Formats: sequence, C-alpha cells, structure tokens
Amino acid sequence: MRAVVVGGGEIGFALSQALSERHEVFVVDHEPSVADRFEPLDVQFVLGAATSREVLARAGVEGADVLVACTGLDEVNIVCCAVARQLGSPQTTCFVSREDFLTPGGDARGLAAFGIDRVIWPEAQLAQEIERIVRAPGALDAESFADGAIRLVEYRLDAGSPLAGRRIADLHLPHSSLIVAVRRGDVFFIPRGTSELAAGDKAVAMGTPEALRHLRHLVTGVADADRQRVTIIGGGDVGLQLAERLEGDDTLDVIVIERDPDRGEMIAARLRRALVLSGDGTDLELLETEDVGRSDVLVGVIDNDERNLLASLLARQLGVRRIITRVSKRANLRLFERVGIDVAISARGAAVASVLHQIQGGSARLLAVIEQGAGRILELDVPHAYQSRELRHLAAPMNSIVGAIVRQSRAFVPRGNDRVEPGDRLIVFTTHEAADKVRDYFTHVKA
Amino acid sequence: MRLAIVIHITGTLTRLFSPALLAPAGVAALYQEWRDVGVFLSTFVLAAIVGTVMRRAGGPAAGDVDRLRRVEGLAVVAVAWLLMAHVAAVPYMWAGVGFIDALFEAMSGLTTTGATILTDFTAFGRGVFFWRSLTQWLGGVGVIALFVAVLPRLAIGGRELFFAEAAGPTDEKLAPQLRQTAIALWRLYAALTAIETMALAAAGMSLFDAVCHAMTTMAAGGFSPHPLSIAGYDSALIDWIITGFMFVAGANFALQYRAVRGGRMALVQDEEFRAYAGVVTLATAALALLLLRDGMPFFDAVRHGAFQVLTIITTTGYASDDFQLWSPQAKMVLLLLMFVGGCAGSAAGGPKVVRHVLMARFTIRELKRTLHPRAVLPVKLGGRVVPEHTLRDVQVFMLFYLLTFSVGAAVIVFLGADLMTGITASIACLGNIGPGFDTVGPMANFAHLHPVSKIVLTLEMWIGRLEVLTVLVLFRLEAWRAARWDPA
Repeated sequence: MRAVVVGGGEIGFALSQALSERHEVFVVDHEPSVADRFEPLDVQFVLGAATSREVLARAGVEGADVLVACTGLDEVNIVCCAVARQLGSPQTTCFVSREDFLTPGGDARGLAAFGIDRVIWPEAQLAQEIERIVRAPGALDAESFADGAIRLVEYRLDAGSPLAGRRIADLHLPHSSLIVAVRRGDVFFIPRGTSELAAGDKAVAMGTPEALRHLRHLVTGVADADRQRVTIIGGGDVGLQLAERLEGDDTLDVIVIERDPDRGEMIAARLRRALVLSGDGTDLELLETEDVGRSDVLVGVIDNDERNLLASLLARQLGVRRIITRVSKRANLRLFERVGIDVAISARGAAVASVLHQIQGGSARLLAVIEQGAGRILELDVPHAYQSRELRHLAAPMNSIVGAIVRQSRAFVPRGNDRVEPGDRLIVFTTHEAADKVRDYFTHVKA
Repeated sequence: MRLAIVIHITGTLTRLFSPALLAPAGVAALYQEWRDVGVFLSTFVLAAIVGTVMRRAGGPAAGDVDRLRRVEGLAVVAVAWLLMAHVAAVPYMWAGVGFIDALFEAMSGLTTTGATILTDFTAFGRGVFFWRSLTQWLGGVGVIALFVAVLPRLAIGGRELFFAEAAGPTDEKLAPQLRQTAIALWRLYAALTAIETMALAAAGMSLFDAVCHAMTTMAAGGFSPHPLSIAGYDSALIDWIITGFMFVAGANFALQYRAVRGGRMALVQDEEFRAYAGVVTLATAALALLLLRDGMPFFDAVRHGAFQVLTIITTTGYASDDFQLWSPQAKMVLLLLMFVGGCAGSAAGGPKVVRHVLMARFTIRELKRTLHPRAVLPVKLGGRVVPEHTLRDVQVFMLFYLLTFSVGAAVIVFLGADLMTGITASIACLGNIGPGFDTVGPMANFAHLHPVSKIVLTLEMWIGRLEVLTVLVLFRLEAWRAARWDPA
C-alpha cells in the first residue's frame, strides 16, 4: 500500500514511523530542515508546498491509497486534501485544530465538499477523553461503549486497597464486571484468574456502569462526593473545550487559569458558568489564594510540557488528589507518570492510533486506545456463517479478552459458559501486539 | 466645536420641523376654528423663516455635515430640541398661555412627558389639543429619526445625531443603512398608532379622541384631550386596549420589528424584554393585591393595577383612576416604578430596564471580584460581553440621573412645594412620566408651581429625554472654549 503523509511535524513523524514498517510512505513538507529528521526512516521525502499540484503529483498521489494531511495549518490541510482528490487520491484524512470548519457538534459534513473523507480534530478528541476521565471519580482512564451500556475504567491500586496482594479469582468481583488488563511498571498484560494484583498496579476493568460503581468501592473504599471541583490550568483550545463540556454539569465547579489576559477575556466571554482566573498556573501564590489544593481534579493543559509539569507538581504539593496532565512530547509520557502525575495524556497518541487503525484496520472498529496505545479496544462482528459456541471454547488469540457481547442492542459482560452467536458484536480488549491477530481471527474464521 | 455648522444644521432641522404645524391647522379648519388656523399657519411661516435664516447664517457648510464631530452632534441635538420646543410653544402663547407655561407644555409634549399646566380644558380648541398630541407623537421615536428617514442627505452625517437622540444605550441598526433603519422604525410606529386608533374608535371613543390617544400612547406621552385623562371614559375595554399598547410602546421597537419579521423567539431571547415583562407582571400582581386589600373589587384591582403599572413604567402618564387617593403602599409601588423606565430603543423615558439589568450585574460582578481578585469576570447581556466603556457610561448615567433628580427636587421644595410634590414632580419630569403625587397628582396639574420650578422642570424634561449626558456635556465650559464660528 502507498501512503502520502503531508506535514512533517510530531504527528507526521509518528505516522510515518509506524506506517513505514509495512508500507510505502511519501512525506511532503516545505521545510528543508524537516528532511533531516526523516533521514533515519525508510520513507521518500518530497520537499515542496503541501498545496501545490505539482508537488503532490511528485509525491505520487495519483497512485496512492491514502493521504493524510497533518500540517499545523487547517487551511493548508483542507486545500491539500481537495487538490489530492482532484489528482485521484482515493482516501483523504484531514487534521484540523479549530472548529470553524465543522458544523456545530463537531460534525465534519461541511468538509466532505472538499473531498475529505475523514476529519481528525486532536484537541477535541483530547478534551473529550479528559472529560470522560474527570467524570469517572477516582479513575485514571474511562471510556464507554455500546451507548453507555458498557464502560471501561482504569484505577490505580493504592497500598491500602483491599484488592492489593490478592488473586483475581478470589476477589469476588461484582457480577458483570471484569478486570481486562493490568499495568505493572512497564509491563502491560491481560491477567488470568490466577494472576495476583499488587499495590501500585493499574487495573483496567470493563463492565456495566452499575457493576463498576461497586468495583470502585472495592478498589478505593471511598464514597462519591456530591460536588466536584475541577481546576483547569491553561485556557488553550483543549482547556476551553474541556471547560465548555464540563460546565454544563451542575455538580461540577469549573475553574480555568489562563496566563494571557486577552485570551482570558476571550474564554470568559465564551464560558457561561466557569470561573476564569487571570494568572500563571505556576504561580504558587495564586494557587494558594484560590485554594486550588481543594480541587478534586486538576487538569494541566498548558501548551508547554515543562510549565505544565511544574504546575501539576505544585498542585500535587497543595494536596490535589487527582491530576491529569497533557503531554506534547511523546518522550515525556513515562517521565510524567514516574514523577507522580496520575494521568499523562497526549493528543497525538490517540489521533495517530486512530489514523493507523483506519488505514490498517479492516472490518474491525477501533473503539479506544488506553495506556498510550498499549491497550486497544476493538469491536468485531461475528460472521453469520459462524458456528455458535461457548466462550471458553473460543480459541481466541493470546493477550486478548472478550469484554462484552452486544446482541440485538443488549450488551452484557460474558462468563466462560456464555455462547458467542453469529451476528453478535464483540467488544474485545487486546494489547497492541495482539491487535492484528485478533482482527484476522474473525475475518478468516470458518464455520 | 464649529458654531457655524451647529447653527446651520439646527436651522435645517427647525425648517424641517415647521411643516408639522400644518397638521393642526388642517384639524382646526375641519372644526372651523378659523382663529387657530391662522395661529398655526403663522407659526409655520415663523418657524420656516427662523430655520432658513439660521441655515443661511451658518453659511455654505453643507459639505461639512458629513464630518460632524461628536460634540457638535450632541450640541445640534440638544439645541434643536430646545428650539423646537420654543416653536411648539408659540401656538399655546397665542391661545393665552404665559411664556414659561407655554414652554413647559411644549417641552412636556416633545419629550413625551405629559405633565400639563392646562387648568381649564374648555378654553382651547381641537387644533390645540391635536397639536399637543402630535408633538408627543413626533417626539416619541425621535424627531431626528424621522428626518433621517425622510431626508437621504441627513442620513450620511446623521449617525451621531440619530444615536444621540435614541433612547437608551443602543446602537442597534435594523438595516445596513441608517436611513432604512429609520424608515423601518417609523413605519412600525405609524402602523401601531393606526391600529390603536381603530381599536379605540371601535371601543366607542370618538375619532378625534382616538387619534389623539393613539398618538400619545404609542409615544408613551400621556397627554389626553380629556381633563380626567383615561379615567374620564370609565370603560374597562378602553383601559385594556391602552394598557396593551402602552406595553408595546415601552418595549424595544427594533426588537418588535424583528419579531414581526418572523423572529418570534427574539422576544423570548432578549434579556431586557424578559426583565421588562417580569417587572411589569410582578408590579401588577403586587399593586392588584394592595388594591384588593384596600377594598377594590377583583377585576377593577387587576385592571387599574395593570394600567397604572404600565402608565408609570413606560413613562406614559395617563390615569385610569385617581391614584392620588390610593394607599401609601400602592403609591410606593408606583414611586419605585418611576425610577425604572421602559426598554432601550422604545418610546419610553426613564433610566431604562437594560441599565438596571447592567447595574445589577455590575454590582454582582464586583462582589464576586472581592472573593476572587484575579478572576476575569465579564458582564454579559444576551450571552454577549458588554464592553467596559458601556458599563462605565451606564454608571455615569445613573449617577448624573440621580443627581439631576435630587437638584430638581430640592429646588422645587425650597420654592414652596411640599416634599412629596417636589420629589415626584422632579422624577416625573426627568423620567418624562408626567403626573406625580399630591399637588401634581394625576387629576391635578403643574400650573400652581413657582415659575422658577417650572423652568427647572422644563430643563429636567429636556435633560431626561436626551439621556442626561447629551445635555450636560454642553454645560462644560471646555466644550465652548474651543468653539469658533469658522467652519474651516
């Protein structure tokens, strides 16, 4: 397959790196210095303007299967996709960073007229993701599937957690819930009944919302608070969108701290209820006067990793219990979590994973990625020719687990003796490495 | 400030105003009051001559009209209104009223106040009563707005004039062009007046009375050819018709225009309109309950409650009942409403509902700021941020408004009036309402006040109609020190 990646920034690099392992990749950028960065990769670099017909032709757009426009400029991305479409590129994916081009609600229909098949708005994805985590009390990550019937949450097991030091089979987990993955240090694995949990582990659980609420009591032993106070440091695109999403909920008190006074005015004008403070998130005096330490959640979304980390660590010192911090450079992800940030999250990770999946995914749908792509949640259709059998007899690939079965708009968490029927949709949790095998398993399954 | 230009434009406006005198001449002719026909015709000629002379004296400054400076615009509006009041006073003087009283009556007309010094209504012909109502009707949405609508040439430089005259902190335009905005505004205004005339005539009022009342209702004026005001007709139907149209006159015309054009939701969405409707409902309920307590039958209590609430809040100034005889509690409700006023961009006077809304939000904002000194706290109206300079204008307006009211009240009381008379006369004239309480109550008049009091009240009407700052800025020496004749 041939792919054209337009724009050699962080996203373009990560994409090219992943794609070049198996596909023919052309990279287009107008900066000569960018070419050097791509030197180590096995890709063809084309120097020139992204919107130039001639340059795109040189990058072989005519014969390409996909084109991904991910320069830093929305307009350039859109025009690039339009030109590529004229040249005959079958599939175009366009990155945008502003909502101007989308119809209300983040719908990209208006862009279809430019010949764009798929729009990716990393900031919106990130804001959405952080919102889900904020709304799940105590969680490090949270997703919901099958119209909310099935949820996924990730918790950290503190030293005092009743679950630490016990085997999963002995836990007596609530009905309709399942621990699908455990992260211990740098190891990420799918546990069996005999696996033992340890303090400091991060456990990923799937189940119905009701069952997961019980599970949360088991994990932390703390009851839900009525009101939550959320402090957002940094009023950029992500901060503003997150605040807009959160302030609609009456049980959340939202505070946004923004350094640039003009930007502060602008976001205060956009927000209805949230309190906007003008000041630096790393200013200890400001954090103390405004009692930021009393926040239930602190979200650091400053555009600069170092200041973001500083602000988050200050907040930790002041006593904030849960801290979610945005990371721009991939290299910093691990570092952040190591120094005590509960959730380090990157806009690019999710965006890149979703593009890759779209290019390579086949019929399986990628519902979510967790732990920066180490874990994936796929949705698979069981073929109609499939012979019904019990789940325990399903010779599923290693490192994957069926988290839920959706049958005729009803979703449930299966046990070993539940049957997999033709026409079912399976929500499967898998590790990054096993994802391809899982995809193939049902595509090639014979009756 | 270039005096030549101010004189030139003021002259132009006066000349434009003069044909209005032909209408009462026609009415007088219809009722065969030949003496009054002569009076109105000669006033028309006089005004036209004065206007033309001023126009000429200002010299060939026509080209500079387009480059009118802000202070010149304010001066033109203030002086033009003063001059037009003098022109409007001439027919009263001819009918035997003294100069101070005539000017009071004329200013009360143009500014849609509705306070009167007429004691004996039988001494005047139909032409004079028509003239009283017409001056209010013309002053309601604004004389200059009318001229802008009629004269394309004025529209170019008329922006400053238009908004200096408009009621309330609004710079809303209905159409891209100022002239189209003015035309739309006047068309709606005239249409509403015609509808009310028909409604009143159908309810049993004579055609002449219906026309006069329709004009003074829509202008939120309050002059009535009947010595007992609306109470003189003693008809629930007429009361309710007028109550309805007063409510309309007190709401933003631009908003109504949009609502008529299909944007029904515009009314619900507009925060000022919601506040206005809320205050009217609340005050009516309170007043009706108080009247009920004082022994009025239920339907009369609601009818008179609603009527009096609207007549005061929209600064019309009719009376469907002698509210001077009501309990102090009921009167207190009305006294509070005197300080409210209608909506911005309406025919109503007073400080306007939107200014109160903004003041309230501003106060809450400052309270919040003490808790969060570093917070960014924009004041919003209708989801949009209100610029800080607008907030400052509103505060300054409120300050000067109350200051003017206090000075006026003090002068009137020191010149011999009783306390309640002084206070209510001052606010009734400054807010362009009309009647107050006690000796200036709804069934009384202002004729007995000290001549100096009348002059002060005349000034207050003028200041109130032009929203305080337009006039007060001209009392700054600085505005005049830099004045020169030469238009160059």
